[in-house]
Amino acid sequence: MSSSQGPATTTAGFDSPGEDQLLPQLVAHLREHRARLRHEWSERIQQAGLLHAMTPQEMAAETTSVYDNYVEVLETGSVEALQRYARDLSERIIPRGVETHEVVGIVLLLRDVLARSLFEKYQRDFGLLNRVLDAYEPAANRIANTVAVSFVEERERVIRQQQDALRELSTPVLPVRERLLILPIIGVLDSERARQLTEQLLTGIRTHRARVVVVDITGVPEVDESVANHLVQTVDASRLMGASVIITGLSPKIAQTLVTIGVDLSKMDTIGDLQGGLEEAERLLGYTTSRDDGTGGP
Amino acid sequence: MEATGCVGRSAAGASDAVAALIPMVRRIVGARVADVTTAEDLVQETLARVLAASGRVEPGMLEPYAIATARNVVATAWREEDRQRRNRHRVVDLTAPDLPEGGLLAEEERSAVAAALARLSERDREALVAHEVSGRDTRSLATDLGSTAGAVAAQLHRARARLRVEYLLARDRTEPPTDRCRPVLFALSSGDRRRQREVDAGRHLLECDVCAALSQPLLERAPQRDDEVRIPIDGDADVVAARQAARELAGRLGCFSPTDLTLIATAVSEVTRNIVKFAGSGEVVVEVLEQPRRGVQVTARDAGPGIPDVERALQDGYSTYAGLGLGLPGARRLMDEFAIASEVGRGTTVTMTRWCADR
Amino acid sequence: MTGPRLVSILRQGPYLIASIHTALDDSQMTAFQHDLVDRIGRDRARGVVIDVAALDVLDSFATRTLRTIGEVARLRGAVTVVVGIQPEVAFTMVALGMDTGSLHTALDLEEGLALLDRAVGPRRPVTALRGGAA
Repeated sequence: MSSSQGPATTTAGFDSPGEDQLLPQLVAHLREHRARLRHEWSERIQQAGLLHAMTPQEMAAETTSVYDNYVEVLETGSVEALQRYARDLSERIIPRGVETHEVVGIVLLLRDVLARSLFEKYQRDFGLLNRVLDAYEPAANRIANTVAVSFVEERERVIRQQQDALRELSTPVLPVRERLLILPIIGVLDSERARQLTEQLLTGIRTHRARVVVVDITGVPEVDESVANHLVQTVDASRLMGASVIITGLSPKIAQTLVTIGVDLSKMDTIGDLQGGLEEAERLLGYTTSRDDGTGGP
Repeated sequence: MEATGCVGRSAAGASDAVAALIPMVRRIVGARVADVTTAEDLVQETLARVLAASGRVEPGMLEPYAIATARNVVATAWREEDRQRRNRHRVVDLTAPDLPEGGLLAEEERSAVAAALARLSERDREALVAHEVSGRDTRSLATDLGSTAGAVAAQLHRARARLRVEYLLARDRTEPPTDRCRPVLFALSSGDRRRQREVDAGRHLLECDVCAALSQPLLERAPQRDDEVRIPIDGDADVVAARQAARELAGRLGCFSPTDLTLIATAVSEVTRNIVKFAGSGEVVVEVLEQPRRGVQVTARDAGPGIPDVERALQDGYSTYAGLGLGLPGARRLMDEFAIASEVGRGTTVTMTRWCADR
Repeated sequence: MTGPRLVSILRQGPYLIASIHTALDDSQMTAFQHDLVDRIGRDRARGVVIDVAALDVLDSFATRTLRTIGEVARLRGAVTVVVGIQPEVAFTMVALGMDTGSLHTALDLEEGLALLDRAVGPRRPVTALRGGAA
């Protein structure tokens, strides 16, 4: 951001008195025609097919704010308020899937809409028009730059945050109570990740002396043959270490897939939801049920 | 005196390390030699050799070295009595024959060297004689030959390797039985691993008794490598030795997790057991790979009956003994790469690799 | 064989506790199997705990031997629990595709004995009847 401080000073500090008057004049013009220009801008945005993730009401509110912030930067030469607003806006629209090119697109459209209105206003005095544009363009480009950078930075921050969250989730062996672990699996399971999960779980079983493990796969979008095999291996390996495994969050669709690819579900203890799984686990740990586990075998 | 001082300094540590090997050496020798007194003699001889070599051997390599030495010592003991005496005499004391037949032996020695030199190419012979006998250095030889010092050194290295082979052949008055023998022996003598692989030296040694006998002095003088372990397989105990050596070598790479090391050791256990069960004997070589990635490669080789239907042997449940079909398919599941070459009546070679995880 | 014992088999009440102290080769493993099965019969043990915590590899032969012990023990009216399988070893056994059959497993000796208490029941000879019927 330090590199973009330069133009701000330039915009604010015009030397000749004549130039001094240009920006205030320009700002007054944009304020005067605010309703018309903002409307024109909105239409161009719609024509360009940008921001389709937003409702018309949201569009109206946001474009008004952007417009006012835009004019304010032209007036004060300070981008700080705009920067704050752009970050705030980005934070709101990034989760809705708004892309960088859309944000840059709408700001450039506003720049052009306003430039065109300046053409119209000053078309009779070519010399004055040139001086107005000389004052306007650097400021406008600086605004576009500020918004784009803010958006990208915000986006990176969100991505980092999500990655951190995912990393935390990938060490998910949670000791719930004595002898009971939960392993919530979230996201796509590839071989490498499945292996890590299993290794973590097995080490966790030893560390926490777990006797029951609840593996919750509610967050696994799809189960194909290799994921199913990993699940079976996790169950078997845990059992070798003396821990029973309860699988929860197995949707009917996934259950069907498992049966279709030949996984023997009778060897797995499956329960619909996590709550049910935890209750079953506590039941196992409390030895309150009549279990014949340990006598005889199949 | 100098030498004695050196031995003295490291003697305590070395003999402790060697003492730790005693139970293992006893087991290896005991499994092969029934007579208790003979076995104990051989154990002592093995330990003496290992102790003598302990300064040259990497600390972690002492155990595999002891295993190899024990087997060599036993194999030597098995060999024909008079020939054993003859050869040992040469190995131990070439310069000062003091036995009654000493003069005769020295004469034999000279003629063997002469015969060996005569079998080299003229170019190799001249270079060797100029360097070894006339004491010319490689740089001045290079100037004479219009070559570089490095090229001359390489030529000398190859010439010496050939000379060693030809000397052994001349000494034993042996002519190699097959066309493949000389290339294999040259590759072993020069310690060129790439070349050894190209000529499939390991397999040839299992098949050719003449080369197997000749290779022993050649292999003994090759520098001990710390990126390769060779475990002769001869019985149940060697299955454990092989998998422990593999775990140790792979562990030194530092890129394998405890789980990886267990996977590797278990795969080695499976393929080594197949050697013991089906072929009786063979060898397992574990080596570090740097190309195309870092990893560990295991080669398990035997000259046994071979597998008639490799495809079937790789299926779960197929087995010719005791209903246990997990050896090969199981090992294949544990490793990243797995290849098997088998020929009925000739033997089987399993090559398997596990790569370091990308970090 | 001289030197430290490779395995030990101790009696504790109606149970036998067999510990493997070091890596065994196949013939030693087989000898262990015979010794243990012998002891189960002689001591009329109702439960057996096999502690394999010292083993860094349980390959197909070792696993199969443990399974055989478990099956023979069952026919003789005893429940077998294997305890102390290390995480890496458990992972590898599964990756190897080992079927451990009806072997019972527990985390460690303490858990193994607890499992036997639950399975055998301190006094009722349920297991012996089941074993006999099998």
